Amino acid sequence: MRVRARNGVRAVRGGERIVVEVQHVTKRYGSFTAVDDLSFEVEAGEILGFLGPNGAGKTTTMRILTGYLPATEGHARIAGFDVFDDPIEAKRRTGYLPETPPLYPEMTVAEYLHFVARINGIAAGDRTARVGAAMERTSVTDMAGRYCGTLSKGYRQRVGLAQALLHEPDVLILDEPTAGLDPRQIIETRRLITELAGDHTVILSTHILPEVSQTCQRVVIINRGRVVAVDSPDALTARLQGSQSLYLQVDGGGDDPVAALRGIAGVAGVAAADRRDGVSGFEIEIAPGHDVRREVARAVVTNGWGLLELRARQMSLEDIFLQLTTEEDGGEPDGAVPVGPPEEADAPDGGEADGADRIEAEERTDG
Amino acid sequence: MANILALAAKELRAYFVSPIAYVLLVFFALLFGWFYVASVNVMVQLSMGQFGMGPQVVNINEFMIRPLFGNTAVILLFLLPMLTMRSFAEEKRSGTMELLLTSPLTDLQIILGKFFGALALYCLMLALTLLHVGLLFWYGEPEWGPVASGYLGLLLMGGAFISVGLAISSTTKNQIVAGVATFAVLLLFWIINWIGDASGTTSQAVLAYLSILEHFDDFSKGVIDTKHVTYYLSFIVVGLFLTAKSMDQERWNG
Repeated sequence: MRVRARNGVRAVRGGERIVVEVQHVTKRYGSFTAVDDLSFEVEAGEILGFLGPNGAGKTTTMRILTGYLPATEGHARIAGFDVFDDPIEAKRRTGYLPETPPLYPEMTVAEYLHFVARINGIAAGDRTARVGAAMERTSVTDMAGRYCGTLSKGYRQRVGLAQALLHEPDVLILDEPTAGLDPRQIIETRRLITELAGDHTVILSTHILPEVSQTCQRVVIINRGRVVAVDSPDALTARLQGSQSLYLQVDGGGDDPVAALRGIAGVAGVAAADRRDGVSGFEIEIAPGHDVRREVARAVVTNGWGLLELRARQMSLEDIFLQLTTEEDGGEPDGAVPVGPPEEADAPDGGEADGADRIEAEERTDG
Repeated sequence: MANILALAAKELRAYFVSPIAYVLLVFFALLFGWFYVASVNVMVQLSMGQFGMGPQVVNINEFMIRPLFGNTAVILLFLLPMLTMRSFAEEKRSGTMELLLTSPLTDLQIILGKFFGALALYCLMLALTLLHVGLLFWYGEPEWGPVASGYLGLLLMGGAFISVGLAISSTTKNQIVAGVATFAVLLLFWIINWIGDASGTTSQAVLAYLSILEHFDDFSKGVIDTKHVTYYLSFIVVGLFLTAKSMDQERWNG
């Protein structure tokens, strides 16, 4: 089963300009399909998060967008220029930070940025100013005279970022921009990216979930080269609220609490989450549209258990991600943390689609 | 054009920050100097009549400069693979190829940038030899025609070597592999006419024609034959074309 996002034809939406268009892009290496019929669009000034496990096809997609790799099928356009038919114009409007910053170890930071400015066609008179501005923006000015080969991981990443935004591109494509940075640098980089949006359209890939909810306005979740979902982080969370659960921790409970809890109307499933020193925790799966908190509390009291904890478990982006990306394996039963039956992922979620980003989930049976 | 220049300047710079440029320049100067001294000795012995012919006026072009150019060609066969082995291989290994390929540059600009960058360092190597040749002009009276045509020949032949090196370097991430393979291919082009024979059957004549050093001989004699110029120029074009093909292939295969 897979969930596919479909965007209707919307060349212009609310006056916003579509800057990046990806239409039915497929990339095959021999018999291996790295990217399978991928379609999405990005508006001017938007930050789009590209989320997926390692090997999902994020880097391949970015490489297609930047013109580094040609797609086997489909089209990608940057600011209206096809990356395959009109590569030079498309590349002029794209800034790209690959996973490993492409630095020349034998050049100093300033020399390197001057070189990048030169091959991007920035006039000789403007180069110094542009390089200065880019270094300022990424806080690498102090390192201007250092050789790229001697920089720390954090600085390499920042010089890579300076390189990507040097020519003021319409679109910035950043492949895991925060990978390998320390927590402070991560926060700085995220702030920088947020600042950059508006002037630039940003597409960033990551497998770190909080990054997406903190920086991105829209998320494309991909797995095995396919789009699993496209939405805002909040809407994605909301969309899956149907499969809400409760966490209950009690002590005592000589009788089997699982059976008692299962008897409550509206409880879809109960699983023992943890048990130690006579304290047991349970995950209680709630059927959509029910609120069973009162009934659960009553059951605790009538059975004479000691109530230690009862809280609603909101599905984090992490859960959604895991759910969306592992489902395809047939949802292996994993006793510890049950995340709703697979069908619930694409249960009709009326009212949650926010009109702008309409999600159409369609079920498919694979294999 | 500006892009080609920017890339060529970057290449040349990279040669000089790594030890490659210095190693090449030093050893080329040393080897050339060695051959130079050796041929000066032969010259001196000849002109003093040590071969039983009595003192005589020896043609400096014929007995000194021509063999010297021939020897230089052989030194280049050994040294030029080192000039080109890193060009694409290193960029691919370190990931900077991704920068070039996602910048608004055409493949042709990248290839020509690398070609002219390497050619510029090669010209510097040749420039070192002007000192020795200058001394010959200072003390002797060689004809400048064959000297000029010899340099033209060296330039064209070096260009051909470089284009082979670029084509091979673009197929691998490993500099050593690129260097060794380039040397092997060049050597093959040198000895290819050992089985060939210009006056033999068609296939032998073709093999003879392909020999890369064979075409150099006339240049060192002072003859600029369009046949040889065409050979080297087409050799360069084919080499660069193969480089472009290999880049394209790489792109599709990822």
